[in-house]
Order: sequence, then C-alpha cells, then structure tokens
Amino acid sequence: MPTVELNHISKSFGALKAVDDVSFTVEKGEIFGLLGPNGAGKTTSIRVLLDIFKADSGTASILGGPMSEAKKAHVGYMPEERGLYQDVQLDRCLVYLATLKGLTPIEANRRMDEYLQRFDLAAHRKKKVKELSKGMQQKAQLIVTLLHQPELLIVDEPFAGLDPVNTQMVKDLLREQRARGVTILMSTHQMHQVEELCDRLVLIDHGRTVLYGGLDEIRRQFSGHAVLVRTPGTLPTLPGVEKIERHNSAYHLTLAPSTNSQDVLRVLVERGVPIEQFEIAAPSLDEIFIRVVTENRPEEGAAG
Amino acid sequence: MKKMLQVAWREYGRHVFTRRFTLMLLSVPLLVVFLVGMVLLVIRLESDDTPLGYVDHSGVLADPLPPREVKWPAQAVPLLPFITEEYAQQALDDEVIQGYYVLPEDYLQTGLAELVYNKEPKGMSQEQFISFLALNLLANQPPNVAARVMEGTTVIVRSTDNSREASEDRFLDILMPFISGLIFFIAIATSSGYLLQAVVEEKENRTMEILVTTISPGQLMAGKIIGNIAIGFTQLFTWLVFIVLGLSLGSNWFEFLQGVQIPWSSLGLMLLVMVPAFVMICALMAAVGATVTEASEGQQVMGIFTLPLYLPYMLIGVLMENPNSPLAVGLSLFPLTAPLTVSIRAGFAIVPAWQLILSVGILVASAVGALWLAGRAFRLGMLRYGQRLRWKEIFSRGRGG
Repeated sequence: MPTVELNHISKSFGALKAVDDVSFTVEKGEIFGLLGPNGAGKTTSIRVLLDIFKADSGTASILGGPMSEAKKAHVGYMPEERGLYQDVQLDRCLVYLATLKGLTPIEANRRMDEYLQRFDLAAHRKKKVKELSKGMQQKAQLIVTLLHQPELLIVDEPFAGLDPVNTQMVKDLLREQRARGVTILMSTHQMHQVEELCDRLVLIDHGRTVLYGGLDEIRRQFSGHAVLVRTPGTLPTLPGVEKIERHNSAYHLTLAPSTNSQDVLRVLVERGVPIEQFEIAAPSLDEIFIRVVTENRPEEGAAG
Repeated sequence: MKKMLQVAWREYGRHVFTRRFTLMLLSVPLLVVFLVGMVLLVIRLESDDTPLGYVDHSGVLADPLPPREVKWPAQAVPLLPFITEEYAQQALDDEVIQGYYVLPEDYLQTGLAELVYNKEPKGMSQEQFISFLALNLLANQPPNVAARVMEGTTVIVRSTDNSREASEDRFLDILMPFISGLIFFIAIATSSGYLLQAVVEEKENRTMEILVTTISPGQLMAGKIIGNIAIGFTQLFTWLVFIVLGLSLGSNWFEFLQGVQIPWSSLGLMLLVMVPAFVMICALMAAVGATVTEASEGQQVMGIFTLPLYLPYMLIGVLMENPNSPLAVGLSLFPLTAPLTVSIRAGFAIVPAWQLILSVGILVASAVGALWLAGRAFRLGMLRYGQRLRWKEIFSRGRGG
C-alpha cells in the first residue's frame, strides 16, 4: 500500500484552478520529488494531502487512509512558509512543538540535544529564534520536523537558504531517514538535488501533471539519440553520425536513426581514437524540466 | 484533549510566569496597601496627643467615667480637669494643653459649653472630649440604653417584600457593581488582549501550518481561549482575595468597614452575567485575531467591541435615576452592554427575574456564537498571511482557504 496516494485531486480558489486532476503515489521508504515551477500547485497539493485544504474533487490518502488527528503524530511537515516562534528561546520552541507531537518533555529534550549538536546549534539553544541567522532557523525548522521521528516526511524546499556544507548535511540526513524506512515527499526547484536524492518524481505545471515516474525512466524517455565523447584529440568524421558539436570539453554526437551507440564506440576503438569518456547523452533533469514546462506553455495558451 | 491543555498551559505560563505579570498582579494590592497607608498616616497626623483641659462648673464631670479607648492609629488625648479657668488658661499659655472646655453651671439646661484655645484643636481631639462628655452624661442610664445612644442612629431602608435592604453599613452593595465591574473589565481586557496577540502571533510567526498538522484547529483555538481566560481569572482571583483580605483586616482599624458584609448574592449575579460575557469577548477577540494580519490592526478593531462594554458607566446617571426604564432594560438585553447594566441595576433596584434569565440566556448564546465564529474565522483565516479575511467570507464561504 502506498504511503501517500493522490487520486484525481482538483482544487480551485475562485476562478483560479490551482490543482487540476493531479494523481501520484509515494511508496514506503522512497524519496519522492514533487517538482514544478512557481505557482504550479505543489504547495496546494501538499495542503490537500494534509487536510489543510479540502479538495473540490478526488481523494487523498496518507498512511493508509484520509488524514486524521492520530496520524498527525506520524507526519513531519516542513512547510514552504517557515515558521517558528520568533520571540521564544530556541530550546523552548523546539520542545513545545515536539511535545505537541506527543513526545514527553524529557524525551523531546534528549532528542533535541542530539540534533542541536549535529546541526551545530547547541551553543545557540538559549537564544531567541529571531536572533538566529536564516540558515540556523532553517536547520531549527528541520529539527522540528524530525524530532518526533515521523514515518512520513513532507519537506518543501528543504535546501532553501542553506550553504553548501549544510546542504550536504541535509542531504545526508534525508538519505539516513530513507535508510531508516522513512518515506519522504520533497518539493523543490533544485533539480540537481532531485537527481541526487529522488527515486521517483512528479512534475506539475499549471496545476496539471506533466511528468510522472522513476528518475531513470524519465531521463531515458527524454534522452535523445546521442552520445557524449571526451577525447584529448580531435574526432574524425564517423559513419552513422549526423552531427558533431563541441560540448564543453567533450563532443556531443547526434546519431542517425539506424545507428546505435555500440556501433559508434566500435568504430572509435577500431580507428584508435583515444577515449577518456564515452556515455549516452541523457539530458539533465534541469533540461527536461525546462523542455516540458516550455512545451506545456503554448498548449496552455491555446487551451486557456 | 491533552494537546489542547498543552496549548492552554503554554499560553498561561508564558504570560503568568513573567516579571511583568507579577508586577501587574501585585499592583492592585500594593495600591490598596498604599491607600490604606495614606489613610492611616492622615489619621495619625490629624490626631494630637497634647492634652485637652476642661473646667466643669456643672458637676457633670465631677467623678467622671474614664474616656473610651482610642484605636490605633489615632492617638489618645489626655483629658485634664482644672479647678478654675485661670489655671486652665495658664496651662494653655504654657502650651501644656491644646485648649480647654468650660462647662457652665447651667450646662445641663442649655447644653452649651465653651472651648478656649489659641489654635483650634484638631477635630479628632474635640471628638474625644465630646465622646467622654456623652459617656458621662449617660452614666446614670441603663448600660444598654447608654450603649445604644453612643452608637447613634442607623437608618435601614427595606423593600416592601423584605428581599432587599440598604443602610449606611451596606454601602458595599452599591459600590460592589462598580468595583467588581472595573476589576472584571480589567481582567477581560488582559485576557482578550493576550488572546488577540496569541492568535495573530501564529500568523506573524508563520507557525499556523505546522500547528494545524499537529493539532486540530478547534483544539488549538480552545487551548488558546482556555489559557488566556485562565490568565484573566488568575488576575481576578488574586485581586479579589486581596480585597477580601483588605476588608477583613481593614475592619480592625476602620469603623466604617466594621458593619460591612460582602454582598454574596449580587456577587453571584455578577458572576452569572460576567462569565459568559468574558468568554464572548475573548472569543470575539480571537475571531478578530484570525481575520487581521498584525496585532496593531487587531487592537483597532478591538475598540468596536470594548467601547459598548463601558457604555453603561457613561449612562450611570440615567440608570441610577430610573433603573427599570426601557433604556435600562434594552441595555440589559444587548450582550455587550448587559454585564455592566445588570450589575449596576442590581445595586439600585430589583431586576425582574425574566429580564435576568433572558439577559443571561442571550449572553450564553452570544458566547457560544462567538466561539463558533472564532473557530470559523480561524479555520478560514489561518493561512492568510498578509491578507485580511473579510467578515462576509466567514459567513458565506464553506470550508477551505
């Protein structure tokens, strides 16, 4: 049974259709990417899932059924709108929010100590939240989301405002959570983070699903009939190759429909071309994102 | 339920266990102590223990009974007999006495005595001599008659059905609605102010989404209302304890407090109207908090609700003159003016039972309605950051956001 399941969810605010027939599932123990440009309907989908908003139509299931009060203790949610009590001491703020999730104050304090150490915030525990830097507040927010050891983590832009060191730490943390069996639904703009972390993803644009599936499967689906070759020398003309373009320090070879990559590799070896790198030229997720979203726009215009 | 109590405890604790709140809590008793201290000081300064003399030609004070005991902080004035005016005058000139009375031979016929002084003796000194004289004039009377005369007259006004009475000693019956009303309103203002702040704060801090995925909006709101009302009650209870303590301790020193009885029946009536009013105002404040985006904006809207609360104070003359006028009845039935109007009227007249029942009924219904409104406004307004929720939306829209 999937941990999260959205079935044909639609939600409008007045004339604006924020989410239009969106469906996806998140399986237990995976990191799932919820992608989309600004205003695509990602946050609305999450809010519908968490029963903050009621959907106009469709059904949402979380941990095996609709959202309930009892399930709130098993979900960790880091919203896009970060929120902590600014005028309160960091430790008090964290413990209060953790005890609301059902932890005893002693347990909340114990776990908080560990996280504060790990996130390098221990020295700042007695400071008011407003006295912390944006990055520190971001880390504190993540602690709030994790303290009660949820089964499902929903994180909206978890890397926003973090420096590279902290970004790496959060990535490690998410991987560690996945290894513990925690299901993670991550909404982000940062495609390279998705490429690194996510098992599957859904791309929403203008409230509609435009891409959905496993990361490799999607990349394969968008990979052109091309290879990337890095060589210290120059490339000779090759049979079955329609176009050779310089691509940074490598060559991007567009193959003829009848040629496959193995044929090209064989010819290169036969001709004694020194090869430093040879790979199928799969597009980056960034490129896929831009391509899909741009392709989606004219249709929108025509439809709208 | 547990989460609701956690929210309530947090709301309570973060305001009550602060230096500011403790100071505010102690401000009233400290003020009472200060005022009592001032009164005691004035009494002390008003009394002068320099002896007063008297020359008795009438024989009334030939073998006098001792003067009555004088209670602290007033000072007993020694009363010295002189055989002749010359001796008394000499003592006055030597500043041994502050003045002397002369009772002529025909004093019992005329009732006229003369007081001779260089600087008029203070009122309390004169009172002590007059009391001493009265005691001796009554020396031959049976003790109970003498005691009765010394106590003076007490006028008691009683209603024809014996259900109410008023007397000099029962001035608290009239004062109570004013004092309690004032204390109640200070408590309401404290609670509702904190509550407004507590609701707006969740928006300002952007914590709403985290909270509603942790606790139900209903429990969150109920926790906030309970916690902040408890703050008001803490204030109210502490002040009432100090007032009752002040009254009972004060009655040892102040004669005017000695016959005072706490009017429990009118206090009970006040509780009956004030408690639902308290909940209603607090819930309205919470609803205001849910519709606005900043605390300062909420405080402006707050005035719309708090002004009518004090309206009966402004109309007190009219209400005293005719406590059962149509205006008084109307104000007793309108939820925002009812608490104070009913309390004031109860101090001066018998409020018909049907009006009391109707007024309390309307107040309870209004409190329930205000709670519903607060819950709804909260649900609709919780994710409106930087954008006001219109009242029209609360009444017209379904659930969503």
